[in-house]
Amino acid sequence: MPRFTRLARATTMALLLISTTARADIAIVINEASPVRQLSHSEAVNIFMGRYRRLPDNSVALPIDQAPLKARFYRALVQKDMAEINSYWARLVFSGRASPPQQTETLDDVVDIVTHNANALGYVDAGLLPPHLRVLLTLSESP
Amino acid sequence: MKFPAFLLTTLLLMGSAGVKAQSHLLNDRVTLSGFGTIGLIHSDQGEADFVRDVGQPKGAEQGWSARTDTRLGLQANMRLTSELDAVVQGMSQYHSSGDFSPELMLAFVRYAPMPDFQMRVGRLGWDVDLLSESRYIGYGSPWIRPPVDHFGVLQLTYIDGADVTFTRPFGDDLIWARFFAGTSDSRFFMSDALQVDFDADSILGGHLNYESGPWRFRAGYTRIRSNVNFSGDDADLIGDLFGIDANQYLNPRTGFDDLQVYSLGAAWNKGPLQLQTVWNRDILADGDTWLDTGFVSGAWRMDKLTPYVLLSNVSTHNNSADALSGNVNQNTWSLGLRYDVVTNLALKAQFDRIHTRTPGLLWRGTDGNWKDDHSNLLSLGLDVIF
Repeated sequence: MPRFTRLARATTMALLLISTTARADIAIVINEASPVRQLSHSEAVNIFMGRYRRLPDNSVALPIDQAPLKARFYRALVQKDMAEINSYWARLVFSGRASPPQQTETLDDVVDIVTHNANALGYVDAGLLPPHLRVLLTLSESP
Repeated sequence: MKFPAFLLTTLLLMGSAGVKAQSHLLNDRVTLSGFGTIGLIHSDQGEADFVRDVGQPKGAEQGWSARTDTRLGLQANMRLTSELDAVVQGMSQYHSSGDFSPELMLAFVRYAPMPDFQMRVGRLGWDVDLLSESRYIGYGSPWIRPPVDHFGVLQLTYIDGADVTFTRPFGDDLIWARFFAGTSDSRFFMSDALQVDFDADSILGGHLNYESGPWRFRAGYTRIRSNVNFSGDDADLIGDLFGIDANQYLNPRTGFDDLQVYSLGAAWNKGPLQLQTVWNRDILADGDTWLDTGFVSGAWRMDKLTPYVLLSNVSTHNNSADALSGNVNQNTWSLGLRYDVVTNLALKAQFDRIHTRTPGLLWRGTDGNWKDDHSNLLSLGLDVIF
């Protein structure tokens, strides 16, 4: 029954894809040399939304955005899509109040900055955690 | 429909689909970015011309107009050291000079040695209430324009001076305060025949903010002392009639030379719902006259569509006779829809139903007897950031 087999295969693949997407949480990471062990959700919002950029050990936080993961990250962090996030930053940037996180294009850029800077915070797919980074907070992408 | 063709062309080019929402890095230290709006208004009011604020010498007449809301802003952010940065912004919009000549809107250096404290020196935005600083950024709000009943009167464009901001965490919440001082020269129009040069030589103000989850609250106070000079045909007429300098006659009757602004604001933004309200009381010099201005806004985001409703009001409380017909009393109901085409471009449509009991300085081209009338505006807008 080749038709049934193809259908079963396609269904299994679809289910796998759906479940993979649903479970792919996002981790906020820092250099493993940092004394900071964890971050609360509200501290993460304050840092990435430019409200108050201080880490729990009192050092200055340097948040890093990663283009491929940005939309998923802000959806998980503050339940906003990119148009809303851009609208938020337009108000802050063009009134001269605050600057958005440093923008990077790839995961490698984030890893490079975080491994060379003890105060830099990035975010990565929790299932693909690069070495030498410490997870401070895991954001669930489930609704 | 008079505005520079280059402004329209530039906006269309920048807003074309496919332009990604990103700023352009010249190098690690300098970021260039910008914002713009193309706005069209249709007014059914034949007795008076609609203005966005009292800085606009001419208003939108009956029919279509593109002058009122169209603008283009360009900004450079420069990172000087880890503690110092600088911002310069120029903007072109229809303003008090009667054309689209560009103005320097921001030009400051910021010293931020720690997250708890920052100081800015130079040309700063007008931060008198919860939203005044960002009122020109169309892409940043759901509306076609910030409510005219609130932002149309007694607003400065910018101040030249300094401010300091202190921020403290309070559990999961934040408390922050800002204090500012400076000067500002501006011009506004009380009517087609009376213009006011408003040289504010002492602006002192501050506000306290509390942010908790989706909530933002603000309470503020600002005092503006100014040298005020009146000119125009009406000022000349007053001078001729009374044989005195028109300023001697008009200053005591307007009280613009010493203005106090109290402001309260609140905003709630969680999930798809966005609520905002601001109330200001502007007390004029004699203390017997004040303006209450305010608005309430609600917006509901559904994927790319954001319908919204807005109610605003301005009312003058004046115990003395309104010799200059400067009292404003009106309210506006607005219904609109924002459509986010891509993540840096939004289209908007808005309907305004304005009930003008007395127009005061908020309308142009009136014959002096126009009052207690309704106007209907239909506005279309395209907002971009780049």
